[in-house]
Amino acid sequence: MRRTLIWIVIIATLLVFGVIYYALDPSGSSLFPRCSFLELTGYKCPGCGSQRAIHALLHGDVVTAFRFNAMLLISIPWIALCLYAESQRTRNPRLYVRLNAPLLIWAYLVMVLLWWVLRNVFGW
Amino acid sequence: MQYWINHNGVQSGPVDLEGLKEMGLTSAAYVWHEGMPDWVKITQLPELQGLYEMLDEPAPGPQAVVTGTPIEEVQQGQAMQQPCDEMSLSDEPCPSTNLVWAIAATVLCCAPLGIAAIYQATRVTKCYRAGDLRGARDASEASQWWSISAIVLGVVWRPLILSLMCG
Repeated sequence: MRRTLIWIVIIATLLVFGVIYYALDPSGSSLFPRCSFLELTGYKCPGCGSQRAIHALLHGDVVTAFRFNAMLLISIPWIALCLYAESQRTRNPRLYVRLNAPLLIWAYLVMVLLWWVLRNVFGW
Repeated sequence: MQYWINHNGVQSGPVDLEGLKEMGLTSAAYVWHEGMPDWVKITQLPELQGLYEMLDEPAPGPQAVVTGTPIEEVQQGQAMQQPCDEMSLSDEPCPSTNLVWAIAATVLCCAPLGIAAIYQATRVTKCYRAGDLRGARDASEASQWWSISAIVLGVVWRPLILSLMCG
């Protein structure tokens, strides 16, 4: 019961955000939160550009989305895999542990850190 | 949960937690319960903490004292699960790594805090595989809190400050 309620809240929130990010372009609007890290340090964080990327994605423009934040596009299939693993956690614990193997998560972590450094070096 | 005890070479059990309390065990005792691949020292099971007397010196000749597992006894009562080749450490499923939240927090909200959440996620399965269920639960919770603080800092906090300054 409580789980269903949580899922309803999550899906409703996603829908609301989806409509907002479809209708408004974060590039020209001051309504959207700017990255605190970028404002504090002047350097991009791994998540910078994801709002514009989502706006582009919702309009079906994958190439523009990739240019705004490549990491976001790489993360989407990963998140889908994690959601699948999460749904199998109690039913198939061995699969869960395998899909959440420390090595796999470390690989993602290293990728994020590399992305963080490289995008500031090359201006991605 | 039913436990089998091997204390100074004398095997007894099954007993439950209440019975275990009254046995006057010391930290030299060994314990086994269904689902465990082998006997372990009583000090290695966090749920039994405080139910035995701590000895200053470590017991000499550890594994040699304990021979034979009470598997035969179990099989009389109920079917014993065949030990798996891997990860048969516990009946309990692995605590959630909360990796979905950690990744979402990293890419969408506040990356530095999200990265801490991802790191804690690696510790969940690492501890679980090592049989450290308590460590896995702690890491799972830590990952969750890092993700929540990332979301708060990245999404909730900024617009709030903005609206306060503009309004």
